Amino acid sequence: MTRYESLTEAVGGTPLVGLPRLSPRWQPTGDGPAVRLWAKLEDRNPTGSIKDRAALAMIAAAEEAGLLTPGCTILEPTSGNTGISMAMIAKLKGYGMVCVMPENTSEERRQLLEMFGARIISSPAAGGSNQAVAMAKKLAAENPEWVMLYQYGNPANAQAHYDGTGPEILADLPTVTHFVAGLGTTGTLMGTGRFLREKVPGVQIIAAEPRYGELVYGLRNIDEGFVPELYDDSVLTSRFSVTSYDALRRTRDLVEQEGIFAGISSGAILHAALGVADKAVKAGMAADVVFVVCDGGWKYLSTGAYSGSLQQAAERLEHQLWA
Amino acid sequence: MAVEVKIPTILRSYTDGSKAVPGDGATLSALLDDLESRHAGLKGRLLTDEGALHRFVNIYVNDEDVRFTGSLDTALSDGDSVTILPAVAGGSF
Repeated sequence: MTRYESLTEAVGGTPLVGLPRLSPRWQPTGDGPAVRLWAKLEDRNPTGSIKDRAALAMIAAAEEAGLLTPGCTILEPTSGNTGISMAMIAKLKGYGMVCVMPENTSEERRQLLEMFGARIISSPAAGGSNQAVAMAKKLAAENPEWVMLYQYGNPANAQAHYDGTGPEILADLPTVTHFVAGLGTTGTLMGTGRFLREKVPGVQIIAAEPRYGELVYGLRNIDEGFVPELYDDSVLTSRFSVTSYDALRRTRDLVEQEGIFAGISSGAILHAALGVADKAVKAGMAADVVFVVCDGGWKYLSTGAYSGSLQQAAERLEHQLWA
Repeated sequence: MAVEVKIPTILRSYTDGSKAVPGDGATLSALLDDLESRHAGLKGRLLTDEGALHRFVNIYVNDEDVRFTGSLDTALSDGDSVTILPAVAGGSF
Protein backbone atom coordinates (compact mmCIF):
# COMPACT_ATOMS: atom_id res chain seq x y z
CA MET A 1 0.00 0.00 0.00
CA THR A 2 1.59 3.28 -1.05
CA ARG A 3 -1.42 5.61 -0.72
CA TYR A 4 -1.68 7.63 2.49
CA GLU A 5 -4.25 9.97 4.01
CA SER A 6 -1.52 12.29 5.32
CA LEU A 7 2.24 12.73 5.21
CA THR A 8 2.74 11.47 8.76
CA GLU A 9 1.32 8.09 7.75
CA ALA A 10 4.12 7.75 5.19
CA VAL A 11 6.78 7.48 7.91
CA GLY A 12 8.72 4.17 7.93
CA GLY A 13 8.44 1.24 5.53
CA THR A 14 11.80 2.22 4.01
CA PRO A 15 13.64 0.07 1.43
CA LEU A 16 16.48 -2.30 2.31
CA VAL A 17 18.97 -2.25 -0.54
CA GLY A 18 21.89 -4.60 -1.17
CA LEU A 19 25.40 -3.31 -1.87
CA PRO A 20 26.89 -5.86 -4.29
CA ARG A 21 29.97 -3.74 -5.03
CA LEU A 22 30.94 -2.69 -1.51
CA SER A 23 30.16 -6.06 0.10
CA PRO A 24 33.27 -8.19 0.71
CA ARG A 25 31.66 -11.21 -0.97
CA TRP A 26 28.16 -10.83 -2.41
CA GLN A 27 27.88 -14.50 -3.52
CA PRO A 28 29.43 -17.53 -1.83
CA THR A 29 32.60 -18.69 -3.63
CA GLY A 30 35.27 -21.32 -3.10
CA ASP A 31 36.94 -18.82 -0.75
CA GLY A 32 34.04 -18.76 1.67
CA PRO A 33 30.37 -17.94 2.33
CA ALA A 34 28.64 -14.71 1.33
CA VAL A 35 29.30 -11.64 3.47
CA ARG A 36 26.76 -9.07 2.33
CA LEU A 37 26.00 -5.46 3.22
CA TRP A 38 22.47 -4.05 3.15
CA ALA A 39 21.55 -0.37 3.45
CA LYS A 40 18.31 0.64 5.21
CA LEU A 41 17.45 3.83 3.33
CA GLU A 42 16.00 6.07 6.04
CA ASP A 43 16.41 9.14 3.84
CA ARG A 44 13.19 7.93 2.19
CA ASN A 45 11.15 9.17 5.15
CA PRO A 46 8.99 12.29 4.61
CA THR A 47 11.51 14.90 5.82
CA GLY A 48 14.47 12.88 4.60
CA SER A 49 15.82 11.29 7.76
CA ILE A 50 15.40 8.44 10.22
CA LYS A 51 14.29 11.00 12.82
CA ASP A 52 10.76 11.10 11.42
CA ARG A 53 10.16 7.78 13.19
CA ALA A 54 11.17 8.99 16.65
CA ALA A 55 9.59 12.44 16.28
CA LEU A 56 6.23 10.97 15.28
CA ALA A 57 6.30 8.42 18.10
CA MET A 58 7.30 10.96 20.76
CA ILE A 59 4.63 13.45 19.71
CA ALA A 60 1.97 10.70 19.63
CA ALA A 61 3.01 9.49 23.11
CA ALA A 62 2.90 13.04 24.51
CA GLU A 63 -0.56 13.58 23.03
CA GLU A 64 -1.78 10.31 24.48
CA ALA A 65 -0.44 11.26 27.91
CA GLY A 66 -2.20 14.62 27.68
CA LEU A 67 1.10 16.57 27.79
CA LEU A 68 0.67 18.03 24.31
CA THR A 69 -2.60 19.78 23.66
CA PRO A 70 -3.67 22.12 20.83
CA GLY A 71 -1.75 25.41 20.93
CA CYS A 72 1.25 23.95 22.78
CA THR A 73 4.87 24.66 21.78
CA ILE A 74 7.41 21.85 21.48
CA LEU A 75 11.00 22.51 22.63
CA GLU A 76 13.90 20.25 21.67
CA PRO A 77 17.73 20.26 21.69
CA THR A 78 18.67 19.10 18.19
CA SER A 79 21.47 19.44 15.66
CA GLY A 80 18.85 19.42 12.95
CA ASN A 81 17.21 16.21 11.83
CA THR A 82 14.96 15.66 14.86
CA GLY A 83 14.02 19.33 14.82
CA ILE A 84 13.13 19.18 11.12
CA SER A 85 10.98 16.08 11.70
CA MET A 86 9.24 17.60 14.71
CA ALA A 87 8.72 20.93 12.95
CA MET A 88 7.00 19.21 10.01
CA ILE A 89 4.69 17.24 12.31
CA ALA A 90 4.10 20.30 14.53
CA LYS A 91 3.06 22.28 11.45
CA LEU A 92 0.54 19.62 10.41
CA LYS A 93 -0.83 19.34 13.94
CA GLY A 94 -0.81 23.03 14.83
CA TYR A 95 1.94 23.14 17.47
CA GLY A 96 4.70 25.73 17.83
CA MET A 97 8.31 24.53 17.58
CA VAL A 98 11.48 25.82 19.27
CA CYS A 99 14.87 24.15 18.57
CA VAL A 100 18.05 24.62 20.60
CA MET A 101 20.92 23.97 18.21
CA PRO A 102 24.72 24.36 18.36
CA GLU A 103 25.74 27.27 16.13
CA ASN A 104 28.27 25.14 14.20
CA THR A 105 25.73 22.97 12.39
CA SER A 106 25.18 23.24 8.66
CA GLU A 107 23.37 26.18 7.09
CA GLU A 108 20.96 23.92 5.23
CA ARG A 109 19.58 22.60 8.50
CA ARG A 110 18.86 26.11 9.75
CA GLN A 111 17.12 27.03 6.51
CA LEU A 112 15.02 23.87 6.60
CA LEU A 113 14.00 24.42 10.21
CA GLU A 114 12.98 27.99 9.50
CA MET A 115 11.06 26.91 6.41
CA PHE A 116 9.09 24.43 8.50
CA GLY A 117 8.29 27.29 10.88
CA ALA A 118 10.61 26.47 13.78
CA ARG A 119 12.23 29.12 15.94
CA ILE A 120 15.97 28.46 16.48
CA ILE A 121 17.84 29.29 19.66
CA SER A 122 21.61 28.91 19.11
CA SER A 123 23.90 27.40 21.70
CA PRO A 124 27.67 28.13 21.61
CA ALA A 125 29.74 26.01 19.19
CA ALA A 126 32.38 25.35 21.83
CA GLY A 127 29.85 23.69 24.11
CA GLY A 128 28.71 21.32 21.38
CA SER A 129 25.60 19.24 21.71
CA ASN A 130 26.13 18.76 25.45
CA GLN A 131 25.51 22.46 25.97
CA ALA A 132 22.49 22.45 23.65
CA VAL A 133 20.98 19.77 25.88
CA ALA A 134 21.78 21.74 29.06
CA MET A 135 20.38 24.95 27.58
CA ALA A 136 17.14 23.25 26.49
CA LYS A 137 16.67 21.81 29.98
CA LYS A 138 17.09 25.29 31.46
CA LEU A 139 14.64 26.82 28.96
CA ALA A 140 12.12 24.08 29.72
CA ALA A 141 12.31 24.92 33.43
CA GLU A 142 11.87 28.65 32.71
CA ASN A 143 8.97 28.15 30.27
CA PRO A 144 6.56 25.67 31.77
CA GLU A 145 4.17 26.15 28.84
CA TRP A 146 6.78 24.64 26.49
CA VAL A 147 6.82 20.86 26.18
CA MET A 148 10.25 19.26 25.84
CA LEU A 149 9.97 15.79 24.34
CA TYR A 150 13.66 15.17 25.09
CA GLN A 151 14.78 12.57 22.56
CA TYR A 152 17.74 11.44 24.73
CA GLY A 153 15.53 10.12 27.47
CA ASN A 154 12.12 9.59 25.87
CA PRO A 155 11.26 5.85 25.72
CA ALA A 156 8.99 6.50 22.71
CA ASN A 157 12.15 7.27 20.70
CA ALA A 158 13.52 3.73 21.15
CA GLN A 159 10.03 2.24 20.96
CA ALA A 160 9.58 3.67 17.44
CA HIS A 161 12.48 1.48 16.33
CA TYR A 162 11.37 -1.54 18.35
CA ASP A 163 7.97 -1.31 16.64
CA GLY A 164 9.12 -0.15 13.20
CA THR A 165 12.76 -0.37 12.11
CA GLY A 166 13.43 -3.75 13.78
CA PRO A 167 10.39 -5.63 12.43
CA GLU A 168 10.91 -4.13 8.95
CA ILE A 169 14.50 -5.41 8.82
CA LEU A 170 13.56 -8.88 10.04
CA ALA A 171 10.69 -9.14 7.53
CA ASP A 172 12.94 -8.08 4.63
CA LEU A 173 16.01 -10.08 5.67
CA PRO A 174 15.35 -12.97 8.08
CA THR A 175 19.02 -14.00 7.75
CA VAL A 176 20.28 -10.75 9.31
CA THR A 177 23.41 -11.34 11.44
CA HIS A 178 24.55 -7.77 12.23
CA PHE A 179 22.83 -4.41 12.71
CA VAL A 180 24.95 -1.25 12.57
CA ALA A 181 23.66 2.24 13.35
CA GLY A 182 24.81 5.62 14.62
CA LEU A 183 25.00 6.36 18.32
CA GLY A 184 23.49 9.73 19.18
CA THR A 185 20.38 9.63 21.29
CA THR A 186 20.91 5.84 21.08
CA GLY A 187 17.19 5.37 20.24
CA THR A 188 17.78 3.55 16.92
CA LEU A 189 20.26 1.10 18.44
CA MET A 190 18.32 0.50 21.65
CA GLY A 191 14.95 -0.10 19.98
CA THR A 192 16.09 -2.03 16.91
CA GLY A 193 18.76 -3.82 18.94
CA ARG A 194 16.31 -5.06 21.58
CA PHE A 195 13.85 -6.26 18.95
CA LEU A 196 16.47 -8.14 16.92
CA ARG A 197 18.08 -9.67 20.02
CA GLU A 198 14.69 -11.11 21.01
CA LYS A 199 14.08 -12.60 17.57
CA VAL A 200 17.50 -13.47 16.14
CA PRO A 201 19.80 -15.58 18.33
CA GLY A 202 23.41 -14.38 18.19
CA VAL A 203 22.64 -11.18 16.28
CA GLN A 204 25.31 -8.52 16.72
CA ILE A 205 24.37 -4.91 17.45
CA ILE A 206 27.10 -2.45 16.54
CA ALA A 207 27.29 1.27 17.27
CA ALA A 208 29.22 3.82 15.22
CA GLU A 209 29.87 7.16 16.87
CA PRO A 210 31.45 10.24 15.35
CA ARG A 211 34.93 11.30 16.43
CA TYR A 212 35.21 15.02 15.91
CA GLY A 213 38.19 17.33 15.73
CA GLU A 214 39.98 18.86 18.66
CA LEU A 215 37.82 21.95 18.93
CA VAL A 216 34.64 19.98 19.47
CA TYR A 217 36.14 18.12 22.41
CA GLY A 218 38.42 20.93 23.48
CA LEU A 219 36.45 22.35 26.35
CA ARG A 220 34.70 19.17 27.30
CA ASN A 221 35.11 18.35 30.95
CA ILE A 222 35.35 14.66 31.69
CA ASP A 223 33.53 15.09 35.00
CA GLU A 224 30.54 16.64 33.25
CA GLY A 225 30.17 14.20 30.39
CA PHE A 226 26.91 13.19 28.85
CA VAL A 227 25.41 9.75 28.41
CA PRO A 228 21.83 9.68 27.11
CA GLU A 229 19.30 8.30 29.58
CA LEU A 230 18.11 5.83 26.91
CA TYR A 231 21.54 4.23 26.62
CA ASP A 232 21.94 0.67 27.89
CA ASP A 233 25.25 -0.80 26.84
CA SER A 234 24.02 -4.37 27.39
CA VAL A 235 22.07 -4.04 24.11
CA LEU A 236 25.28 -3.50 22.11
CA THR A 237 27.96 -6.03 21.18
CA SER A 238 30.54 -3.49 19.99
CA ARG A 239 31.04 0.20 19.52
CA PHE A 240 33.32 2.02 17.07
CA SER A 241 34.57 5.59 17.03
CA VAL A 242 34.91 6.85 13.45
CA THR A 243 37.02 9.84 12.39
CA SER A 244 35.77 12.53 10.03
CA TYR A 245 38.23 11.27 7.41
CA ASP A 246 36.93 7.69 7.46
CA ALA A 247 33.30 8.87 7.53
CA LEU A 248 33.88 11.06 4.47
CA ARG A 249 35.81 8.35 2.64
CA ARG A 250 32.93 5.91 3.06
CA THR A 251 30.30 8.53 2.21
CA ARG A 252 32.09 8.97 -1.12
CA ASP A 253 32.45 5.19 -1.60
CA LEU A 254 28.68 4.87 -1.18
CA VAL A 255 27.86 7.32 -3.95
CA GLU A 256 30.73 6.33 -6.26
CA GLN A 257 30.26 2.56 -6.05
CA GLU A 258 26.60 2.06 -5.17
CA GLY A 259 24.95 5.31 -6.27
CA ILE A 260 23.69 6.13 -2.77
CA PHE A 261 24.03 9.85 -1.95
CA ALA A 262 24.09 9.80 1.85
CA GLY A 263 24.89 12.15 4.70
CA ILE A 264 28.22 11.99 6.48
CA SER A 265 27.09 10.04 9.54
CA SER A 266 25.95 7.25 7.19
CA GLY A 267 29.55 7.06 5.96
CA ALA A 268 30.69 6.57 9.55
CA ILE A 269 28.14 3.78 9.98
CA LEU A 270 29.26 2.11 6.73
CA HIS A 271 32.86 2.27 7.98
CA ALA A 272 31.91 0.29 11.10
CA ALA A 273 29.79 -2.09 8.97
CA LEU A 274 32.75 -2.80 6.70
CA GLY A 275 34.87 -3.42 9.81
CA VAL A 276 32.52 -6.12 11.14
CA ALA A 277 32.07 -7.57 7.62
CA ASP A 278 35.83 -7.91 7.35
CA LYS A 279 35.90 -9.77 10.68
CA ALA A 280 33.22 -12.17 9.35
CA VAL A 281 35.29 -12.82 6.21
CA LYS A 282 38.38 -13.59 8.31
CA ALA A 283 36.34 -15.91 10.54
CA GLY A 284 34.90 -17.70 7.48
CA MET A 285 31.34 -16.84 8.62
CA ALA A 286 28.36 -16.02 6.41
CA ALA A 287 27.02 -12.57 7.30
CA ASP A 288 24.14 -10.28 6.36
CA VAL A 289 25.09 -6.90 7.74
CA VAL A 290 22.33 -4.27 7.83
CA PHE A 291 23.40 -0.67 8.32
CA VAL A 292 21.39 2.54 8.50
CA VAL A 293 21.58 5.34 5.97
CA CYS A 294 20.28 8.07 8.32
CA ASP A 295 19.75 10.80 5.75
CA GLY A 296 20.72 11.97 2.28
CA GLY A 297 23.69 14.19 1.47
CA TRP A 298 21.67 17.26 0.56
CA LYS A 299 21.92 18.98 3.93
CA TYR A 300 25.72 18.72 3.95
CA LEU A 301 26.63 20.12 0.51
CA SER A 302 27.72 23.44 2.02
CA THR A 303 30.21 21.68 4.29
CA GLY A 304 32.32 20.84 1.22
CA ALA A 305 32.15 17.14 2.08
CA TYR A 306 31.61 16.10 -1.52
CA SER A 307 34.14 18.29 -3.32
CA GLY A 308 37.94 18.50 -3.49
CA SER A 309 40.32 15.93 -2.04
CA LEU A 310 39.33 13.79 0.92
CA GLN A 311 42.01 15.40 3.05
CA GLN A 312 40.77 18.91 2.26
CA ALA A 313 37.17 17.93 2.90
CA ALA A 314 38.11 16.28 6.22
CA GLU A 315 39.93 19.42 7.32
CA ARG A 316 36.92 21.58 6.45
CA LEU A 317 34.74 19.28 8.49
CA GLU A 318 37.08 19.09 11.46
CA HIS A 319 35.26 21.63 13.61
CA GLN A 320 31.69 21.01 12.57
CA LEU A 321 29.15 18.70 14.09
CA TRP A 322 28.60 16.47 11.09
CA ALA A 323 26.37 13.90 12.71
CA MET B 1 53.53 -4.01 23.40
CA ALA B 2 54.49 -0.56 22.18
CA VAL B 3 51.41 1.53 21.42
CA GLU B 4 50.53 5.15 20.76
CA VAL B 5 48.06 6.83 23.11
CA LYS B 6 46.08 9.87 21.92
CA ILE B 7 45.34 12.32 24.72
CA PRO B 8 42.33 14.70 24.67
CA THR B 9 42.97 18.42 25.18
CA ILE B 10 41.45 18.39 28.64
CA LEU B 11 44.06 15.87 29.90
CA ARG B 12 47.18 17.30 28.23
CA SER B 13 48.23 19.00 31.44
CA TYR B 14 49.44 15.52 32.45
CA THR B 15 51.48 15.03 29.26
CA ASP B 16 53.22 18.42 29.03
CA GLY B 17 50.81 19.39 26.30
CA SER B 18 51.53 16.36 24.09
CA LYS B 19 48.66 15.22 21.86
CA ALA B 20 49.99 11.68 21.76
CA VAL B 21 52.41 9.77 23.96
CA PRO B 22 54.07 6.35 23.63
CA GLY B 23 53.10 3.61 26.08
CA ASP B 24 53.68 -0.05 26.78
CA GLY B 25 51.65 -2.93 28.18
CA ALA B 26 50.16 -6.33 27.32
CA THR B 27 46.73 -5.12 28.46
CA LEU B 28 45.00 -1.76 28.80
CA SER B 29 45.39 -2.01 32.56
CA ALA B 30 49.16 -2.51 32.25
CA LEU B 31 49.30 0.38 29.77
CA LEU B 32 47.59 2.74 32.23
CA ASP B 33 50.09 1.75 34.93
CA ASP B 34 52.92 2.42 32.50
CA LEU B 35 51.48 5.84 31.59
CA GLU B 36 51.01 6.71 35.27
CA SER B 37 54.73 6.10 35.89
CA ARG B 38 55.58 8.95 33.50
CA HIS B 39 52.41 11.07 33.66
CA ALA B 40 51.42 11.05 37.32
CA GLY B 41 47.74 11.78 37.93
CA LEU B 42 46.48 10.71 34.50
CA LYS B 43 45.20 7.32 35.62
CA GLY B 44 43.20 8.91 38.41
CA ARG B 45 41.25 10.96 35.84
CA LEU B 46 40.35 7.87 33.82
CA LEU B 47 39.41 5.40 36.54
CA THR B 48 37.05 5.59 39.50
CA ASP B 49 38.23 4.99 43.08
CA GLU B 50 37.09 1.39 42.63
CA GLY B 51 39.38 1.01 39.62
CA ALA B 52 36.67 0.89 36.93
CA LEU B 53 36.60 3.05 33.82
CA HIS B 54 35.01 6.42 34.59
CA ARG B 55 31.46 6.68 33.21
CA PHE B 56 32.23 9.73 31.09
CA VAL B 57 35.54 8.47 29.70
CA ASN B 58 35.72 6.37 26.57
CA ILE B 59 38.87 4.50 25.59
CA TYR B 60 39.23 2.98 22.13
CA VAL B 61 41.80 0.47 20.88
CA ASN B 62 42.02 0.79 17.09
CA ASP B 63 38.71 2.71 17.13
CA GLU B 64 36.81 0.00 19.07
CA ASP B 65 35.37 0.87 22.50
CA VAL B 66 37.17 -1.22 25.15
CA ARG B 67 33.97 -1.63 27.17
CA PHE B 68 32.98 -4.26 24.58
CA THR B 69 36.38 -5.94 24.26
CA GLY B 70 37.18 -6.78 27.88
CA SER B 71 37.46 -3.29 29.36
CA LEU B 72 40.74 -2.89 31.27
CA ASP B 73 41.69 -6.50 30.39
CA THR B 74 41.63 -5.69 26.66
CA ALA B 75 44.78 -7.18 25.10
CA LEU B 76 47.11 -4.86 23.21
CA SER B 77 49.35 -5.62 20.25
CA ASP B 78 52.40 -3.81 18.94
CA GLY B 79 51.41 -0.77 16.90
CA ASP B 80 47.88 -0.48 18.31
CA SER B 81 46.39 2.98 18.50
CA VAL B 82 44.74 3.86 21.82
CA THR B 83 42.44 6.90 21.93
CA ILE B 84 41.04 8.51 25.08
CA LEU B 85 37.95 10.71 24.62
CA PRO B 86 35.35 12.37 26.84
CA ALA B 87 31.79 11.08 26.33
CA VAL B 88 29.70 13.48 24.24
CA ALA B 89 26.22 13.66 22.87
CA GLY B 90 26.58 12.91 19.18
CA GLY B 91 25.14 10.93 16.32
CA SER B 92 22.63 12.10 13.79
CA PHE B 93 20.29 13.71 16.22
